[in-house]
Amino acid sequence: MIPKGTAGIDHLATRMVTGLLPKAADAYMGADIGLLSALVRLVAQDYDRAADVLMSDIEAAAAIFREAAPDIADQGLKRRMAEAAAWRPRSLRIEALSAHADTVLRVLIDLHAAVEAAADDGAQWASALDRKIWVFLDEYVAKRAYDSAF
Amino acid sequence: MTAREEELKSGLARYLSARWNADTVVESVSRIPGGASRETWKCQATVGDDRRGVIVRIDPETSLIDTDRATEYRAIEAAFKAGLPAPEPLFLEHELSWLGRPFSVTTEVTGCQSSPDGIPFDHREALGQRKWRLLGQIARLDPLALGLGEVMPATRVETCALEQVDYWAKVITDDELHPNPVAEAAVRWLRRHPPPPAQKLSLVHGDYRTGNFLYTPDGDIKAILDWEMAHIGDPLEDLAWSMDPLWSWPDPHLAGRLLPHREAIAVWEEASGLKAEPVALHWWQVFASVKGIGIWISSSEDFHNGASKDPILAMAGWLVGDRQEQILVDYLSPHSKHRFHRVAP
Repeated sequence: MIPKGTAGIDHLATRMVTGLLPKAADAYMGADIGLLSALVRLVAQDYDRAADVLMSDIEAAAAIFREAAPDIADQGLKRRMAEAAAWRPRSLRIEALSAHADTVLRVLIDLHAAVEAAADDGAQWASALDRKIWVFLDEYVAKRAYDSAF
Repeated sequence: MTAREEELKSGLARYLSARWNADTVVESVSRIPGGASRETWKCQATVGDDRRGVIVRIDPETSLIDTDRATEYRAIEAAFKAGLPAPEPLFLEHELSWLGRPFSVTTEVTGCQSSPDGIPFDHREALGQRKWRLLGQIARLDPLALGLGEVMPATRVETCALEQVDYWAKVITDDELHPNPVAEAAVRWLRRHPPPPAQKLSLVHGDYRTGNFLYTPDGDIKAILDWEMAHIGDPLEDLAWSMDPLWSWPDPHLAGRLLPHREAIAVWEEASGLKAEPVALHWWQVFASVKGIGIWISSSEDFHNGASKDPILAMAGWLVGDRQEQILVDYLSPHSKHRFHRVAP
């Protein structure tokens, strides 16, 4: 267990730049080490936030599914929305959360397409829901943004 | 020297001796960082007293972009013959016996660099003017008259845009490791808001951006590189790609870190003789980011499942893909603060 994983992984990246990069045999290896170091810094950021990012995706999408359910006529989509919204994690391991987040996102993609089609047909509820899905997408991207000088 | 370098030196010496019909010694080989779609090597060859620098591009085991080497080579050849700054193409070799994989050879363009980080502040404007003037000249080229119809798929002014969407949407769905709700929303937006027909069909470079040309310390462009995604299409595609905010990250104010966007567009319009109509250009801006996401997703898939564990593939899939999604949301979200340049349709 690494209680301060983000800082620990960051130290590894620093060591790559200060210890290994100056000893690179050629420009290609130097570029590789620079890239690897930058990637390790991304891993450091994900170490801290990954579970939070995935759980917040799952919960925010579930709220959208519950709100949309009364207006969705497609029974298959409605059932998938209900299943995704009812899910409760049995494990907080990233692999398990990521697998369920993938399921949730596939449902969200299909819901978004259905909502756009309804909005194009003039449905008022659909325009409002479309805006809410875009709030989800705004946050989806913002919380994944990396801090990197690369 | 590594075994790979020794092998390349001897194989290339045999090859060049055969092609130049003269004993050739390859003095040195060094792999060039970047050019992630193929292995790129800088080589010094000697024929008698004549020293010749050549660039060898070898098909990779896996790469950032799946392309046909003949398309790239023929596009460079066409650009070179048309008088554009491009490396002089020497040989295209499909036979595996020389280097183990197919490859192409061009002359080395010396005294230049390509890194956007190295652009002298005082030369940014001149370099920007030259960059978009050259792109306008590419837009003037007739790909069929240049013989490129033999290696590039035919298209029409009415269909070229949505054909590109279909291609990159398939790349995204075929290669994605996780669902991509932003990219999917953008693909639907592109299909629901098709652009007007192209003003003409031209040679599209496909990856024209700061970083993909060689420039001198005094701000001249000596060679346009990386033609592997060249195709026939709407010249606005190149203009939009050249101004994608990714190429000016993190400062969105100068297109490609060189010129204000309006100025870049004006230079291109004058050089191409075409109009960058705002509705069409905005569509191509959104498309550019969808295409970018396709490339980054594909590289991520290659990194995970392919033979190569080149870190440039991982960087493209993680950091660059993340930034491209930020750009797309900025373009399309109804809540966007429009941090990045967006042509007002």
